Amino acid sequence: MKVFAALVRKEEQALFTSPIAYVVLTVFLLLMGYSFCLTLFMTHVSDLVHLFFQIFVMFLLTIPVITMRLVAEERNLRTLETLLSAPVSETQIVLAKYVASLSLVVLMLVLSLSYAIVLAIFGEPDWGPIYSGYLGLLLLGAALVAAGLTASCIARNQVVAALLSLSIFLLLWIIDQFGYILPDPFNALVVNLSLSVHFKPFVTGSLYLSDAGYFISIALLGIFLSVWALARR
Amino acid sequence: MTDASGPVLELAGPRPAPIIEADRLVKRYGPRVALRGVSFTIAPREVVGLLGPNGSGKSTLLRLITGYLAPSGGTARVDGLDVVSESIEVRRRVGYVPEDAPLYEWMRVSEFLDFMARIKGLGGVAARCAASGVAEQLALGPVMRLLIGKLSRGYRQRVAIAQALLCDPRVLIFDEPTNALDAFQVVAVRELIRSLAGSRTILVASHVLSEIEKVASRVMILVEGRLLTDDALREVKGPSRLRLRVGGESQQVVACLRSVPGVAAAVCNERGTYLITAEPGQNIAPGVAASVSRMGLPLEELATVAPDLESVFLDLAARQALPDRVAA
Repeated sequence: MKVFAALVRKEEQALFTSPIAYVVLTVFLLLMGYSFCLTLFMTHVSDLVHLFFQIFVMFLLTIPVITMRLVAEERNLRTLETLLSAPVSETQIVLAKYVASLSLVVLMLVLSLSYAIVLAIFGEPDWGPIYSGYLGLLLLGAALVAAGLTASCIARNQVVAALLSLSIFLLLWIIDQFGYILPDPFNALVVNLSLSVHFKPFVTGSLYLSDAGYFISIALLGIFLSVWALARR
Repeated sequence: MTDASGPVLELAGPRPAPIIEADRLVKRYGPRVALRGVSFTIAPREVVGLLGPNGSGKSTLLRLITGYLAPSGGTARVDGLDVVSESIEVRRRVGYVPEDAPLYEWMRVSEFLDFMARIKGLGGVAARCAASGVAEQLALGPVMRLLIGKLSRGYRQRVAIAQALLCDPRVLIFDEPTNALDAFQVVAVRELIRSLAGSRTILVASHVLSEIEKVASRVMILVEGRLLTDDALREVKGPSRLRLRVGGESQQVVACLRSVPGVAAAVCNERGTYLITAEPGQNIAPGVAASVSRMGLPLEELATVAPDLESVFLDLAARQALPDRVAA
């Protein structure tokens, strides 16, 4: 456990000594703040439905930037060789990178709680969809970080890793559109692969185990594939 | 008075079990074969050099021994532990200094050593003590608060060696430890490796012959993924050879040398210069001179050469690279 804690601390230090974390946080807060104010002044409705969809899209665009360097950079700079000369397993390394990256996503969500606090001060929001929306975003972030980590383990170059994960995310975002042109039973299969189809119920306050299971499955699959890709070196 | 005619007594104890064993190691990168059935053993506390030209498979071999890469065939064991199935335990016993010292440039030296100590299993106070211990041993005191990215190459190399020394490993492996260092730094690193010998087993890989010669007590030569000898220094102490410089076509020279009894092998090192090895106990110089004269070839030089590591290396490398040029 001490070894794992040291690895997580090192990953967090790597994340926060690079400008990437600060750029991502700044862009996220600026765009979400603007979107929150605009929506609030135009609709005068005290909910965060619109904001949650904006954060959904922001995650698709920013998580590849967070995860791209995780393994691709270490492999490129050959620091992976130094790291793996120590008695640490590939699973520990992958999990430490995963936890550290997810902590940045959680920090983004924690900072976005300020919008909920503003609603609580000036209105009477329905807290159910806000809680479930945050749960959905947390699960979405967990799945996307795992998928981005896999891309970083596969690709040798950071830019390739970012483009690969961005492509996967965008495909999973719009894949349900292809369901309408496919015959039964492929349409149902394709629709159920969609990120947005499984995310929407969380935003409206509906919790289904199948939706949570979908995101958790992607996260576990991503972690498994990352360990496999790292061990295959 | 001792009885000199009595039986010879075996004074040496039983040979210690090897600490590193490689058995027919093979490594393939897709269609390219980097190592072709490499086998050797290294005894505890030996200082062994691994010599070979760039791209000969030295780094791959070291990465297999440290457990960083898995072999495509064959086995390797460190301290009796398999490097694949018991990789974590192997890494506890091995301190590894990779080529060009790849380190986290955004970390301070103290942070890096503390981090490496922790992931090698030491707790808070023990990790700090171990880090400061190796820092003192490698005279890193003045740079402990500096970012690794700001260090000179010499200091970076020392930091890489310091992390390898953490937790006092039984085996130390250096990959090209003097690469791109200036003359003073080369001497310092060489002295450091010498000072570490004695209590530990050391394996040093380099393409610089003079470096290997100065630190190792045994030299292995690896060329194109094949281990040509596991003790080149033994061959240095072996019988001397003849250097023959002669005019004429190589086929004529080959025929000339074939006709001399006692010639074991001959290698054409450069145009018209042949390095001839005799069979044990044979004096072939008069026979070679007579044969050259009989064939009417213009003899330019015939001299006895005491073998050195360079000639052994060139001889073995030439035999490996150009087997068709081996005359006899």
